Amino acid sequence: MSRFAEPMTRLIDELKKLPGIGSKTAQRLAFHILRSSEDDAEALAAAVRDVKASLRLCSICNNITDVDPCVYCSSPTRNQRLICVVEEPTNIAAIEKTKHFNGVYHVLHGAISPLHGVGPEQLRISNLMQRVEDGQADEVILATNPTVEGEATATYLSGQLRRAGLKVTRIATGIPAGSDIEYADEITMLKAMEGRREL
Amino acid sequence: MPLKESEAIVLRTYPMREADLLVTLFTRLEGKVRGVARSAKKSKRRFGGALEPLTYVRALYEDRERQELTRLDSCEVLESPLATEVTYARAVALGHVAELLDELLPDREANDAIFRLGLAVLGALRGPAIWMPVTYFELWLTRLTGFLPDLSECVACGRDLNGNRAYYHALADGLMCPDDKRLASSELSPESRLLAAQMFRAPIEKFAGELWPRERGADLRKFLLQILQRHLEKKLVTAGMLEKVSG
Repeated sequence: MSRFAEPMTRLIDELKKLPGIGSKTAQRLAFHILRSSEDDAEALAAAVRDVKASLRLCSICNNITDVDPCVYCSSPTRNQRLICVVEEPTNIAAIEKTKHFNGVYHVLHGAISPLHGVGPEQLRISNLMQRVEDGQADEVILATNPTVEGEATATYLSGQLRRAGLKVTRIATGIPAGSDIEYADEITMLKAMEGRREL
Repeated sequence: MPLKESEAIVLRTYPMREADLLVTLFTRLEGKVRGVARSAKKSKRRFGGALEPLTYVRALYEDRERQELTRLDSCEVLESPLATEVTYARAVALGHVAELLDELLPDREANDAIFRLGLAVLGALRGPAIWMPVTYFELWLTRLTGFLPDLSECVACGRDLNGNRAYYHALADGLMCPDDKRLASSELSPESRLLAAQMFRAPIEKFAGELWPRERGADLRKFLLQILQRHLEKKLVTAGMLEKVSG
């Protein structure tokens, strides 16, 4: 027999499905919701419902958005001819934090991963090629992760994009700001040396 | 328990909990070992790029009492696939090597011959050419795991196949002569059989300078994969992807 009433057990089970939430945390969250006001509980339920109901992918860049085209693709102040390609929508937030990139994005929703059976045809590459072929871009920045999968994706894309006669660039890899060279691993150091620039 | 130190090849990683990674290592000391790299997803300080698949590392790990998973303490990169350009074809070939090692090797059983084979093939896969290293790897791995049948005689009648045509079939245990071949068998060309014989006699470096288009040894690779997949009783994910790689 369950230790809690059925609705409580159901809520705990649902919360446990969230990343990083174990049994104890799920119980704590469930009791917090139980103790909160009716309005707060309803607001939480509505927010969960809305996120599924109103969010979709931008038809231009595949970013998650509630309006189509998304805020980046429809912004008149952004450089629409500079496209930054990222693996996941969450990567956009990291780039936006810099406040120095004024172009637009293209989200692949993954990276080439042979071990998981993910090839180029499983990624959202076709509408990127369409944007390029329609003459909508001067430069494409490949901002996939500096992993084997991300590098394979970047190399594959650069081959495809260069055929369209486009300027293709790759984000730099190297020593993180504020860190110490002494603690850098061999590959990071190698990439940092390869990607050195003239001052 | 004391920390163990071993050379190892990282086979694959899976996300585990919020920031940990479950890592499968092929260690020289103990064969295939699975362990947890704590906070490896969040902090790159301790592991850096060392947990990328097919990275050759010096691993420090610690077994825990009554627990199957080891605790991965640290990894020092000895050689990384990221040191040279990772093309799509190379990524698929590296993935294929990792998948075969992961699927075929038993847990905690050291195998120095296969470890040395893995290192030699990773070295050959530094460049853009993939078909020679993949063929060499599949051939030797099939032999070292004990699944390779005798390539010189018919499995049905024992007739010598040298100088004769030879056929293979998904349900046969070895090569067959023209008289014993089954319906829908495929031919293993004399060139590919000669190639296999040469590969058994020479190190991988000897073949490095040769021209290796995709077609060379394609029937041998198909024959070997059929044997391995039959033994594993499943299709390899990377085998299908290799088929689509051009060049």
